[in-house]
Amino acid sequence: MSDGEQHATQDPIEPKAEDANAPINIKVVTQTGEEVFFKIKRNTKLSKLQGAYATKAFAMSALIRVNGLLAVCARDELWTCLFLFLYDGERVQEHDTPSSLNMEDNDTIDVMVEQVGGSA
Amino acid sequence: MAGICRSRLAEERKQWRKDHPFGFYAKPTKATDGSMNLLEWEVGIPGKTGTPWEGGVYKLMMIFPEGESLHHQDTTHRNHRNVSKFTPPLFHPNVYPSGTVCLSILDEEKSWKPAITIKQVLLGIQELLNDPNVNDPAQSDAYTMFK
Repeated sequence: MSDGEQHATQDPIEPKAEDANAPINIKVVTQTGEEVFFKIKRNTKLSKLQGAYATKAFAMSALIRVNGLLAVCARDELWTCLFLFLYDGERVQEHDTPSSLNMEDNDTIDVMVEQVGGSA
Repeated sequence: MAGICRSRLAEERKQWRKDHPFGFYAKPTKATDGSMNLLEWEVGIPGKTGTPWEGGVYKLMMIFPEGESLHHQDTTHRNHRNVSKFTPPLFHPNVYPSGTVCLSILDEEKSWKPAITIKQVLLGIQELLNDPNVNDPAQSDAYTMFK
C-alpha cells in the first residue's frame, strides 16, 4: 500500500528517527578518577542516573552499613543531594534528560561532593 | 585552511566529550539559532587542589582566529594560535588587563606546536595559576604585588 512512497521520497536512512530513544552510555567520573558507567535511554530523566549513582556511592560509606539503613535507599533521590553532577560545566538539573542536553554516546559527567557555603 | 582548522577543532571536541581532565569543561559556543561556533569556545578551569585557587572554576573564552590554520607554515598571523581570555579578567601577573593569557604554549614564536591540544593548553593554564612567571609580566598590579 505505502510501498510506492517509501523508496521514492524518503532520503537515505535517517538514523535519528529510529534512535530517538535508544540507550546511550554515560560515564560518571569522580575527582579520584573512579569511573561508573550507566546505560540510559535518551528520554529518561538523568535524575534516575544521579539517584542510582548517589545511592551506590553512599552505600559504600561505613555510616549506612553501621546503621543498617539500606532499606531507606529505596528512594534513590534521597541521596542525590549529596553530590553535584556537572555536564559541560553545568549542573545537571532534575528535569534534564540526555536528549535535552544533546548528550552523545560515551559522554562524561563529572561528579563531586556537594558543598554548601555558609552552613559552618 | 579554515576547513582544516574546523575539522581539527571538531575532533578535539569529540575527544573531549569522551574524556577530559576532571572538573574542566570546554565547549564551542552556540549561536542563537542553535548552530555551533567551533571558533569560539567557552571553557572552565578548576583551581588545583592544595593551592589557593582550589574550589574555584575560572572561566575563559578561547578564540581561534578565522582563516588561521593549525598548520605552522601558514604564518599570516604570527602571534597566538588561539587567544585565551579570562572572563572576567583575572588578577594574575601573566594575565593582561583584558583577561588574555600570556603563556608560551599559546605563542607560535615560543613553544606553540600544531600538535598541542586544547586539553594541554587548559592544563597549562591551570598550572600557570599558581606558578606565575615574573620574568614576563602582563599586568603591572599583580606583578608588583607578587614580586
